[in-house]
Amino acid sequence: MITGNHAVIRTTDSDDAPFLQRLYADWPPRSSLLDRKRELIVPTADELRELLGRKDNPATALLAVEDLTGTVRGFCGLRQAGPELAYGELLLMLFDELHYREPLALETFAYLCKNAFAEKRLNKLLAHCLDTEPEWRGFLTGRGFTCDGKQRDVFFTRGEWHDLESFSLLRGAV
Amino acid sequence: MAWKSAAFLRRAEREDLDTVVSWMEDPDFLRFLYGDAARSPKQIRENIVAMLGRTTGQTMPGGVYLLIDSKEDGPIGLISLQNISWRNRSCSIDVYIGAKSMRAGMVAGVSWYRAMEYCFDELNLHRISAFIYEFNSASWRILERSGAKREMTLQEHVARDGKLYAMYCYGLLRDEFNALREEVAGKLKGKSLAEMIAAQRDEVAEPAS
Repeated sequence: MITGNHAVIRTTDSDDAPFLQRLYADWPPRSSLLDRKRELIVPTADELRELLGRKDNPATALLAVEDLTGTVRGFCGLRQAGPELAYGELLLMLFDELHYREPLALETFAYLCKNAFAEKRLNKLLAHCLDTEPEWRGFLTGRGFTCDGKQRDVFFTRGEWHDLESFSLLRGAV
Repeated sequence: MAWKSAAFLRRAEREDLDTVVSWMEDPDFLRFLYGDAARSPKQIRENIVAMLGRTTGQTMPGGVYLLIDSKEDGPIGLISLQNISWRNRSCSIDVYIGAKSMRAGMVAGVSWYRAMEYCFDELNLHRISAFIYEFNSASWRILERSGAKREMTLQEHVARDGKLYAMYCYGLLRDEFNALREEVAGKLKGKSLAEMIAAQRDEVAEPAS
């Protein structure tokens, strides 16, 4: 458990399933929850409990982000690409979009950066952003991420196509 | 000069295994597409068997593997449509021409055009994506000629020979393909997917004596 001045970052367990389920049920959808096909699956609480209980699977290495009162405010993590590809995808999903403006988000980001660049020695962090996530986008650009481009009409929901923007932060830029 | 090749697309089958394995062991395949040079032939073979097993005639497959074949030259290359999303009506595409002498020729362009027709006219997709390394200029030039837009450039994304290279992401939407179709209708007369299928059907109906 990492305790900062504003955030507590800890590993997840099956008890976090209802909180994670809340993120999946949220509107607008989170880019970080889209799968390889850019589809949003909606798992049940049981499926999430099982997923979070599997400690041997690095793909499920999500961390919970709490405030200092112990309230879960969201989840974060690094989705690492293959070992030959020196980059990882930054995940930071907070329940309330406005929380991206708070010190809790900055502290969590600083931890993830240190983990990616200093400990895992990654060359690059990637992040994705749907056109429905303006606060997340603002957070990324405010932290030095540069836009790599936008995939058009990549995600379909509620009768509309949505674009997916990609951002990257190179080690040298940090 | 008119294009005389009788190359055609067909579903990849298990009997194509040896051909596809030989392509996947080719250093060019590893460099331009994907793969791990350390993989054993047995592992490659197992992966391809699994891949071909997924391409059975189900109505909503997650992937489709098409072989570019030719009566004169035998199997020429492979087109793989992967990550097919029936919800987003999209897929990603890779085209590999195994026969080196044909990489710069019309076979690649016409096969790519037919694959686009297959995606939009048969699978009813809305979007095709392609991810291509910056040094694979032959491939991304074909995409640009087909009207695909370079939507993203991922800097320092893939390592080859000790250097980091960018990866380009191209996107082609149905409207853009329809515009291309109108533009090249005259040039590709006789080479469309429908005409290729009709020619194949005629050959089956009237086998050469």
